[in-house]
Amino acid sequence: MINRYRASAGIMLAPAVTLIGVFVLLPMLLTVWLSVQDWSTQTPFSSASFIGLDNFREIFGPTSVGRDFKGALANTAIYTALSVILILPLSVVFGLMVYQRDVAGGTALRTVLFATYMVPMIAVALVWSKLYSPSEGPLNQMLGLIGIGPQPWLSSPRSALLSIVFLNVWQQVGYFTVLAIAGLTQIPGSLYEAAKLDGANRREQFRFITLPLLRRTLLFSAVIAIINAVQVFEPVALITQGGPVGSTNVLTYHIRRVGIERAQGGLGSAMAVMLMLSLIVVVCALFALVNRKDDE
Amino acid sequence: MSVAWTSKLALAASLALLPVTSWAQSVNISYLTHWSPETVALLEAAAKDYAKTNPDVSVTVRAVPFGDLLTTLRSQGGGSDGPTIGGIYDLWLPELARDKLVAPAPDAVAGEVKDAWPAGVVSAASVGGKLYGIPNEIDVYALNYNKALFKQAGITAAPKTWDEFKDAAKKLTNKDAGQQGFGMINSWAAGVVHPFASLLVSNGGDLVKDGKPVLDSSQATEAFQLYEDLIKSGASVPAMATADANTTGPFLDNFVSGKTGMIIMANWWESALKSGMGDKFADIATAPIPVGPSGDKPHSISYSWMTVVNANAGAAEQKAAWDFLAWLNNPKSGKNGASAMSDILMSMGILPSRLSDIEAHKDKLGSEFLSGYVSVLADAKPFPVVPGGQEFSESLQQTLEALQYGQVSAKDAQATAQADATSILERAAK
Repeated sequence: MINRYRASAGIMLAPAVTLIGVFVLLPMLLTVWLSVQDWSTQTPFSSASFIGLDNFREIFGPTSVGRDFKGALANTAIYTALSVILILPLSVVFGLMVYQRDVAGGTALRTVLFATYMVPMIAVALVWSKLYSPSEGPLNQMLGLIGIGPQPWLSSPRSALLSIVFLNVWQQVGYFTVLAIAGLTQIPGSLYEAAKLDGANRREQFRFITLPLLRRTLLFSAVIAIINAVQVFEPVALITQGGPVGSTNVLTYHIRRVGIERAQGGLGSAMAVMLMLSLIVVVCALFALVNRKDDE
Repeated sequence: MSVAWTSKLALAASLALLPVTSWAQSVNISYLTHWSPETVALLEAAAKDYAKTNPDVSVTVRAVPFGDLLTTLRSQGGGSDGPTIGGIYDLWLPELARDKLVAPAPDAVAGEVKDAWPAGVVSAASVGGKLYGIPNEIDVYALNYNKALFKQAGITAAPKTWDEFKDAAKKLTNKDAGQQGFGMINSWAAGVVHPFASLLVSNGGDLVKDGKPVLDSSQATEAFQLYEDLIKSGASVPAMATADANTTGPFLDNFVSGKTGMIIMANWWESALKSGMGDKFADIATAPIPVGPSGDKPHSISYSWMTVVNANAGAAEQKAAWDFLAWLNNPKSGKNGASAMSDILMSMGILPSRLSDIEAHKDKLGSEFLSGYVSVLADAKPFPVVPGGQEFSESLQQTLEALQYGQVSAKDAQATAQADATSILERAAK
């Protein structure tokens, strides 16, 4: 009986496992294998030659290859951290505003917030590159009205990455607001009623009921926001091309430049492996942190 | 008669009425370019003209931004379904030929190109003695300046030496009016490296000599120092000179709106300047690159573009592509003895490289803007076409931008540029 159960479970799982193996695991293993090879992207895999960890030494070395990779890794980390730090609190704030039906304009806000997520990135990039224009951009014109001088936005290595982060937050916050609203609907209203009877004000209700019970939703949002942010590519390719001075050169864009434009497949694969490992470490650390809090 | 028989007869009649030509084997070829929609329309019109005498060949044109051109060629050129024809920058050729993405030209095409184009241009389109592309355009750098701003600043003539250049840049700078003297472009590899290289060769230096980088020369020291001086004096404001993926952005905006006094740019910008400035384009003049303290006379950098054929395309597609390119670049395909390709190029202010095209467009090449470029062509040095050239160019771009934004000194920038170039070119030569 157990054997028959196991056999039918195996048969039912086989299609999904095969598809995952072919389309997910195999490319991942191939990338890991290529990361220890000297290989040009334009040549067959058979032309690859094993060079051990040389590609990894190169990308962490002192030459321009190493400098550019470490710069791109740092830019990606900063971009991801800033995006998550801004998106999560904003999504909770907007979620609360939309969820509280007594706040005027809630429906309009919900529509506006989610509309930004539906706009294609090409359109977002075109519009924001003009909004950020130092000479004729509306943002600088608005700042001028309140006595603030023109900002360089995308034209300065100090502010270019932050400007791309703002663009990302503007586009993504609506999606995460929807997730926050989904989390809020799971919190029983009776808890708030009980807290009110105990004399808890709105701030205390938020701190001791809303936030702890939103933890699982926020963990999910954080993981998705991190993965989305790490994969940033379009605004960099469309607006800044990684500049100025490599300040917006994020890893996905850099890997494309090295692996495809320069056809250095081995080096590009080593960079992709490092990106994958970094992502795994960060997401595992996040889960560990939340699980520890749950245990407490 | 039954319905089935009626249908069969109708089908047979329809087939018999079809034109004979539709039975001929048709060939579809595609042409990948980075040109603007207006220029793509001209190329499509030329393809239609070609189709009149070659109804079995259909040419479709596909355009991508300049920043995506090499990536598209590399990612799609490896298959037979990729673009059949691609317009490429000569710096990319050695590696595309090494990776067997581009096909050598047939003997007939190679013979004609060797006879009809200048030897230097033919050499830039060849690797190991084999011709891989039909050259079409040549670009050269010169100083562009705004005559109206010069007049306001009391400058009577274009600067001829670096001292005059620095002096003019200082006089043209007006911080209160948001005006800079010299626009030093950033965020676009060729846009950053070519003006620097033009100043370097005008100071008697070189980027690469005999396949080895020579950025440690005294002439290069002076060129890096010039950049630092311009930045420190406030005559060049990097934030006013950013470019975007389409090579436009604040750098272009500030020059066309009269906020930048001088730039060093190639001739192909004529169309962008005209559309951005309208009647005020008449204010723009061209002059040779100022000569540095170690230079003898004005020099600048030149580079060429060519059309190549996908080595992985089918034999019929490759043949059709070479035939189309031979027609497009033939003096009979355009107007008044010019090739159709040169007519398209001249619409953008780009200098054609075929000798008969230069002759055919003599009048337009004598315009105030373009004649300044034609005059410096004879003393221009070709940008070094070496394996690893694109990576070298991008690395030098990063170093020059770090200098522009004050992140490194001229001395450190020079040391970094030489060390990086040595490592990149050595690795690529292996």
